[in-house]
Amino acid sequence: MKRGALLALVLAALTVLFIAIGTLHPNASARFFAGGEGLLSSASTPEAAARKLGSEIELRAWQRAYNSLGNKAQFTEQEFFHDITGYHESLRTYATLESYEVFPQHATASDADVQLQLHWSTVVGSFTDTRNLHLVRNGDRWVVDWPLVRSKVVPPQVIAVNYLRWDVIYRGAGDDWGIQDVEAPHVRIVDMHPVQRAAGVVILGELLNEDIVPAYVSVRATLQKKDGTPIASEGSFDKISHILLPKQVTPFLISFPNQTLADVGSIRMEPISALVSASADPVIEIQNQQLHPIPDPALTGQLENQSGQIVNVAHIITSFYNQTGQVVWIADQYTNRALMPQTPVPFRIPIPEDLAHSISSERTVVATYRARGVE
Amino acid sequence: MKPIDRAASSAQPLPMPLILLTALAVHLPLLLMKLPLKSYDTNFHIFFASHYLHHWFNPWNSKWYAGFSQATYPPLPQQWIAVLSHVLGLEMGYMAVQMAAILLLVVGVYRFSLLWVSPRAASFAALASVFLGSESFLVYSAGQLATTSAAPIYLNALPYLFEWVRYGRPRAFLKAAILFTAAAAAHHATLLFGSFFFAVPVLALVVMDARSASSEKSTGMGAVAARTIGIVVVVSAAIALVLLPFWIALIHYPVTQTPIPHASRANYILSPQWGLNYFVIPYGALILAIPFIIWRGSIQPRLRPLLLGFWFAFLVGLGGTTPVAHLLLGRAFEVITMERFSYWATLLALPFVGLLAAELIARFRTPALISLMVLAAFTCGFGVAWSTYRPADAESFRVDSAAAWLNRDGHDRYRYVTLGFGNKISRLAVLTDASSVDGEWNSGRLLPELTQNGAGALTSSKYFGAGGMKALRAILRHADHYGLKWVLVHDPSYDPLLTFAGWRPVDDLEDRTIVIWSKDGVPPAQPIPSPQKPPHWQGILWGTLPFGSSLLAILIVLIPDGRHDEEDDSSGAVGQPLVAGTVLS
Repeated sequence: MKRGALLALVLAALTVLFIAIGTLHPNASARFFAGGEGLLSSASTPEAAARKLGSEIELRAWQRAYNSLGNKAQFTEQEFFHDITGYHESLRTYATLESYEVFPQHATASDADVQLQLHWSTVVGSFTDTRNLHLVRNGDRWVVDWPLVRSKVVPPQVIAVNYLRWDVIYRGAGDDWGIQDVEAPHVRIVDMHPVQRAAGVVILGELLNEDIVPAYVSVRATLQKKDGTPIASEGSFDKISHILLPKQVTPFLISFPNQTLADVGSIRMEPISALVSASADPVIEIQNQQLHPIPDPALTGQLENQSGQIVNVAHIITSFYNQTGQVVWIADQYTNRALMPQTPVPFRIPIPEDLAHSISSERTVVATYRARGVE
Repeated sequence: MKPIDRAASSAQPLPMPLILLTALAVHLPLLLMKLPLKSYDTNFHIFFASHYLHHWFNPWNSKWYAGFSQATYPPLPQQWIAVLSHVLGLEMGYMAVQMAAILLLVVGVYRFSLLWVSPRAASFAALASVFLGSESFLVYSAGQLATTSAAPIYLNALPYLFEWVRYGRPRAFLKAAILFTAAAAAHHATLLFGSFFFAVPVLALVVMDARSASSEKSTGMGAVAARTIGIVVVVSAAIALVLLPFWIALIHYPVTQTPIPHASRANYILSPQWGLNYFVIPYGALILAIPFIIWRGSIQPRLRPLLLGFWFAFLVGLGGTTPVAHLLLGRAFEVITMERFSYWATLLALPFVGLLAAELIARFRTPALISLMVLAAFTCGFGVAWSTYRPADAESFRVDSAAAWLNRDGHDRYRYVTLGFGNKISRLAVLTDASSVDGEWNSGRLLPELTQNGAGALTSSKYFGAGGMKALRAILRHADHYGLKWVLVHDPSYDPLLTFAGWRPVDDLEDRTIVIWSKDGVPPAQPIPSPQKPPHWQGILWGTLPFGSSLLAILIVLIPDGRHDEEDDSSGAVGQPLVAGTVLS
């Protein structure tokens, strides 16, 4: 009986102990589902308060996050929610917070500045939302003042729409015009050359729609050995603007991870084109473009949606040229906020440092996406 | 033995036919309503069964992952569905197999409990198994047919293991060996982990009983060890042979892919929503019995092995709530899901529950009976209803039109992938002739785009964060290679990716809730060469031995046992071991 009671006591105590250990020091899986935090998380330091806020955003616990803010009287919970997830449907709307980092900037006994970097994952890649937080001490806790980015309100106005549009009558689903005796639009690769980068071989180039109708375009490249046998075949995927209006040019970039240029004897390029319906609307103007030199080489500028409808996602693709006009690099970026009519949105495309010195000019094109049902 | 125990054990056990009828009354209507079709994995099993229906001797299934081997998953329940589907159809075939598993569980729990407690308590344990929250959760929410059909077979094998090791009866040896083999053919993990949680306590019980028996009936430790080793060797060899293609696949292609997060590994205190899902619902009112289990299991030496088996399964079943599962399982913690351990823990708890119920009813009569019935009803009710409160798919929609679209006009010459279909991809795969690069059997996939990114099914990519999106982008990037021409989208959040990657919408279904996207210039799908493809002889083995083991088990178990004088000698509660043949008759 005594041994039995002791065993019961030991098992009960061990159970409680194991649960306590697992809760105070959760393993990676448990932390993942708890939003990266253990039970000991608190707002006792500026960094801890910022991390707690990041955790709540990760868990999409909007009410809890909003209620923890020191300046919540300045905006509503809905505004806070839309500041993070977008005021209109955009990449932010469906993004998942992959991770967050906290960088202390400055601190005194009563207030502190902390940078919160939110690393979001979206369907087209990831983006980082950097927020500089001001924190104020409140008793033994620190509270965050959230730097709200308000949506710009465009005044009511009428915008005249006068753009070209091409419609195509399809015969049915899966109707590949290119293989059904409909002549494909004439397209031509106007520039192409391979470069060796750390991740592998990259093919840079530009494609021109020479036709008088719009074209769906894509480019496929096959690396071949010196004896002509294929090494690998890849496509341009999203590193191209797939819809080209007549006489338009798009950059393209094709990556061959883990390949070495020295092994390549030749490259077979296959531009693909098909007739598609298209329109010149929405018109996106690129303003204030500026090339920034080393130590932080980048192309900056602003996009302005000149149409009257919201553009949910814009894809910016830029060709960078050297002094002889040859393409030396191609880079791209997606906007994570919707483009409102007549509202400039800044963009910044980083340039690899080793190439920055050879770049003297650039050309940028913008592809757009509008959510279903908008048209 | 205390007076209360004598009072409890002196009463008659509940008649087994009555318990089986109760199981039928509770679960048959639910299964006839096809409630498990709403669960996570039911359609997965039906999909596998549909392949066996058409290709019994060829485990290579080209409908998922551009081809994968079904020999990577033990086939028994699915093969039984395929056989029954000739008469009942696939869905009712599934329900029939599940019903059989539930009835077998009743018998198995009774027989297993008899090793530990009185016949009356064992009969209450068997009755409790009908209302077990974890059983309802696995059947109606998780759809884990393999686990819920392997466990009853295993439980039925354990008393034979006891008989063989304790008394050395050859018939018990034969029955134990064939039942263990059939259990492995239903679900290998049950046998593997069951050996620790179930078999080791039974063997410990043998040792305890052997030591306490009178000198003329005692069994030497040498004999116990020899019999244990003997049956382990024979069963291991039988399982190695019956599941040979499975072992070959596992050895050549071990599960080395990046682990996929699963909420059963969460800490249930830090993530209470998962605690509700994986602890409160499966355990139900059994939570109230845990102090009794620990207390009674500790103070009665004969119950200690069972208590320790329960305790370890309980701790592992808590997932990331304690460090135990991670410590005991190592990397397997990141691969297997934890809810099955809670299921096993509740099965191990049932003898205690039966004991508690018998004692409460003996002492408090009607009030105890009513209270226990209410608790059992709520436990079972919540377990069953959980698939409604937390459905596998947040949104219900039909995929028949999508299957019909893929099956017409030569669309099935190309491969497809779905986005936002959840676990309906299994249902779609059953209905369509077209092949997909996606699937729901992560351990069977070999495509590098899928195995390197720590994500589950492509159709749910966005829920796996950056890893999921990397996998989706990688597979779309290689659309030409796989003949992947169609993307069926039920979630517009993927539209930007498809748009910018060069796909275009070509059709829509179900009132525009499903949009079909296409990519121009994709060549028709070709078979993707795979070293995983089993040779013909493995297909013959796969179609013969696992199913044959179950037929053999049925035949051998029905052989009646002789009368054994030793049955009365055990000092615990074992009264009249029940022979499956007599129960079923």
